Amino acid sequence: MKKVLIGFIIIIVIGIWTTVFTVNMTEQVVILQFGKPVRTVLDPGLHFKLPVPFQNAIFFDKRLLEYDVPPEEVLSKDKKTLIVDNYVRWRIYDPLLFLQTVQAIPTATTRLDDIVYSQLRQELGTHDMVEIISENRGLIMEKVTKKSQEATRPYGIEVVDVRIKRVDLPRENEESIYARMKAERNRQANKFRSEGAEEAQKIRASTDKDKTIILANAYKESEERRGEGEAEALEIYAKAFSADPDFYEFVRTLETYKKVLNEKTTLVLPSNSKLFELLLKGD
Amino acid sequence: MAGKRIIIGDQEIRIPDKLIKLGVMPIVGIVLVVWLLTGVYSVGPDEVGVVQTFGKVSRVVQPGLSYHFPYPIEVVDTPKVTEVKRIEIGFRSVGKGQFRTIAKESNMLTGDENIVDAELIVQYKIKDPEAYLFNFVAPILTVREAAEASLRTVVGRHGIDEVLTSGKFVIQEETKELLQSILDKYNTGILVVAAQLQDVSPPKPVIGAFKDVASAKEDKNRMINQAEGYRNDIIPKARGEAQAMIREAEGFREARVMRAEGDVANFRAVLKEYRKSKAVTRTRLYLEAMENILPNVQKYIIPDGKNGNLLNLLNLGSTEKGSIK
Repeated sequence: MKKVLIGFIIIIVIGIWTTVFTVNMTEQVVILQFGKPVRTVLDPGLHFKLPVPFQNAIFFDKRLLEYDVPPEEVLSKDKKTLIVDNYVRWRIYDPLLFLQTVQAIPTATTRLDDIVYSQLRQELGTHDMVEIISENRGLIMEKVTKKSQEATRPYGIEVVDVRIKRVDLPRENEESIYARMKAERNRQANKFRSEGAEEAQKIRASTDKDKTIILANAYKESEERRGEGEAEALEIYAKAFSADPDFYEFVRTLETYKKVLNEKTTLVLPSNSKLFELLLKGD
Repeated sequence: MAGKRIIIGDQEIRIPDKLIKLGVMPIVGIVLVVWLLTGVYSVGPDEVGVVQTFGKVSRVVQPGLSYHFPYPIEVVDTPKVTEVKRIEIGFRSVGKGQFRTIAKESNMLTGDENIVDAELIVQYKIKDPEAYLFNFVAPILTVREAAEASLRTVVGRHGIDEVLTSGKFVIQEETKELLQSILDKYNTGILVVAAQLQDVSPPKPVIGAFKDVASAKEDKNRMINQAEGYRNDIIPKARGEAQAMIREAEGFREARVMRAEGDVANFRAVLKEYRKSKAVTRTRLYLEAMENILPNVQKYIIPDGKNGNLLNLLNLGSTEKGSIK
C-alpha cells in the first residue's frame, strides 16, 4: 500500500514537473503534440502544457544571433577582384517555420551563408570598386540586407543586418597599389624640393637686386652731396673774389707759382728782369 | 550494534539510532534553509541587479545587499553598468605598454584607393542593462565587428592625406556615430563612450616614401632659410656700405665748404691790406712769393740778352728766356 502511494506521488511530481516550464527573456518555445506543432510561446514567464508523452517544448533563442561569413572573393563591375569579409546579424522570427524548414542553427547558418553570399556577389557585381570602397557602401549593404531578408523569410529567419567588415584587394593588386603610393609620394617629395630651390633662388636674386639698388642709390646721393659741396664752395669763392677780380688774379697766380715750381724746375732768369733790377744796378 | 551502516566504496559510515528516530524532517529543514539562503545576493557599487521571476524581468535592484526567491523561481544578473569596457582594433595590448599590431585588422583601403594602417580603441558601457542582457549574443564580438565595419566604412569615405593628418578627428567622430547607430539598430543597450584613433600610419612597404616627403618638406624649409640667411647677411652690409658712402660725401661737402670759407677769409684779409696801399702790398706779396719759390728751384741768371757765349756754354737749347712777371 505504502509503496503504491510513493509511486503515485512520484508520477504526479514528474507530471507537474513536465507540465510547468519557464521561458527566459532570451527564449521562445514551440509546443509539439506527438511531434506535431500546436502553438508557440513568445512571452517570458511561467507556462503550462500537457505532460511529457503528450506535449514537448522545444526552445529557440530569441536574441539577435551572429554569423561571421568567411571572407570571399567577389568580382566588381569593373572586373576587379575584391576579398570581402562580412558578417550577418539575424534572429529566429518565426520559431515554428524555423523548426519546420531548417530545424537548428547550424543548418540555418549554412542556408544564410548561401543566400547572403549570392546576394552580395550579385549586388557587388553591379558596382565599380570605388563605389564599393567609398561612396555607396552603406546603400549596397542596405540592398543586400533587404534582399537577404526576403530570401530567408521562408525559413523563419529575419536578417537584421548584413555588413561588410573588410574589403581587401588580392596580394598582386596590393603590390601595385603600394607601387602607385610610392610613386605619388616621390612626386610630392620632388615637388617640395624643387619648390624649395625655387624659393631660395628667388630670395637670393631679389637680395642681389636690392643690394645693387641700395648701393646705386647711395652712389647717387653721395654724388649729389659732393656736387652740393662743390657748388657751395664755388659760390663762396665767386662771391669773395668778385670784390676785386684783378687782385684775385694776382694773388692766385702767385699761389699757382708756389705749387707749380719746385726743385725739379729749372728757371732761366734774364738779369734785366724786374726781380734783379737792383742786382745789376749795383755793378 | 547501534545505528545503521552504510558502505560507500571502502568507507563505512555509521548513522546513530537517534538520528534515524528523528526521521528525514531535519534534513529536509536544513536543505530548505540552505536553499532559501541562496537567494541572498549583493549588488556591487558599479552594478545593477536585474531579477527575473520565472524567466521574466520583475525588478531592477540598485547596489546593496538584496534577496530574491531562490532558483528556479527567481534568478539575478548583475551587469557592471558603470564600467567602461574597451576594445582594440588593429592591435592588442600585451603587458605593460607593449603592443602587437595585427596587420589583418589595421590595413584598410582609403577612398582614393590607397592603403593605411589604422588602429582604433573603442570604449563603451551599458546604458540599458535589460537590452544588453537579453537582446543579443556575443557582446564583445558584436562591438568588435561593428567597430571594424564602421572604421573601414568611414576611412573608405576619406582620402589618404585626410586620414593621415587633418581628418583624424572627423574620422573618429564619424566612426563613433556610425558605430552607435549600428549598435542601436541591433538594440544592444550599449553606449559608445569614445572611438579613438591610435596610430594611423602608411603601411610598412611604403613608409620610407612617406618619410621622404616629410624630409623633403624639411629640405624645402632649410633651403628657404638658407636663402633668408643670405639675405639677412647681404642687405644690412649693403645698407652699411651705402651709409658709409653717403656720410663720406657729406663730409666732403662740409670740408669743401669749410675750405672755401677759409680760402675766402684769407683772401679777404689780404684784400683789406691791399686796399690800404695797393702798390706796396702788391710788391710785398710778389717778393714774398719769390722768396718762397726761388730757394727750391734751379736757376740760371743771364745778364741781358747780349752775352751769347754764355748761353751756348750753358747749352740750354732753344729756351732763351724764362720770364717772371
